[in-house]
Amino acid sequence: MTHEQIQKQLSAWLDGELDSAASSEVSSHLASCAACEGEAARLRRLGTVLFRAAAPADPRSTESFVARVMSRVESESVAPWERFAARILAPAFAVALAGLLLTISLPREDADAPLGVAMSIDTESVLGVAP
Amino acid sequence: MDKPVTADGELARRASKGDDGAFAELVRRHAPRVRALCKATLGGPGEAEDAAQESFLKAHRALGRFTGEASFATWLHRIAVNHCLDILRAAVRRRSDSLDAMLEADASALGRALAEPSSAQALEDRDTIARLLSRLPPEQRLALTLREMEGLSYEEIAVSMSCSVDSVKARLRRARAELLEMARHFVGPDIV
Repeated sequence: MTHEQIQKQLSAWLDGELDSAASSEVSSHLASCAACEGEAARLRRLGTVLFRAAAPADPRSTESFVARVMSRVESESVAPWERFAARILAPAFAVALAGLLLTISLPREDADAPLGVAMSIDTESVLGVAP
Repeated sequence: MDKPVTADGELARRASKGDDGAFAELVRRHAPRVRALCKATLGGPGEAEDAAQESFLKAHRALGRFTGEASFATWLHRIAVNHCLDILRAAVRRRSDSLDAMLEADASALGRALAEPSSAQALEDRDTIARLLSRLPPEQRLALTLREMEGLSYEEIAVSMSCSVDSVKARLRRARAELLEMARHFVGPDIV
C-alpha cells in the first residue's frame, strides 16, 4: 500500500476491521513512519474522548419505560370513534346530565302546590264542615 | 425449576396477533439497548427518551411485517437507527446560528482534550461533544456513535444502517477526519 492508502486504512485498522494481511502491512508502516504513527495516535485519543463523553444510562427504571410505551400502544389501539366518544361525547353527556339534575333539584316558587298546578280546595264542600 | 424463556420471535408472533403482554416483554428486554442508542445519538435526554418510545411504537405498528429473517433485536435496532437518522436530518435543517457561534469554543476544547487526554481538563462536557457531532452529516454521526459509543462492528453497523461495510468504513474515516480537522483549525496543527 502507498503512504496515502495506509492513511486511509488507519481508521479501520484501529477498529480491528482489516484482514490480517492488510493489518500487518499497516503495522509495519507505522513502525517506520512518524507522520502516520502520529495520526494513529490522534485517532486513538479521539476514540477515548468520544467514548468518555458517551451519555450515562437513564436512571429511570426499565419498568416505568415499559409502562409509558404500553400506555401509548394502548391509546393507539383504541378505534378513532372510541377516542371521539371518550373525548367529546362523554364530557358533553356529563354536562347535560348535570344540568338536568340541577333543574329537578331547584326549589319551586309555590313549595306547597303540586308542580305547575295551582289548586284551591273548597274545604266545606269536600268535608261538609267549615275549616 | 426455572420458567423457560420465550424466544423473541415467538413473542413477536404473539404480539402481532394482539398479545400486549408479549409486546411488553419485548420492550422490557430491548429497552436498555434502544434507550442507550437514542441517548448516545441524540444527546438531549427528553428527545432521546421520546425517540426510544417512538422506536418501539414504530416496531409495534410494523409487527405484521416482521418475518423472522433477521433477529428481532436486529430488526428493532434498525428501526431505532432509522428513526434517529430522521431526527438528525431534520435537526440539520433547523440548526441555529448560536450553534455556529459555539464552534470555536467547542473545537478548541476538543483540541485541548486531544493534546492532553489524560489531564484533569480532559473533555468531559457531553454537550460540547454533542454540538461537534451535530456538525457532521447525519450518516457519519450515526456511524461514529454506533462504533464509539455502542461498540458495534462494521458488519453490525452496516446491517443497522442498511448500507455496505465499505460505506461504514468511509463514513467513520470521514467523521473522524472532520472532527480532527475542526480541532486543528482552532488550536493549531502543532497541538493536535
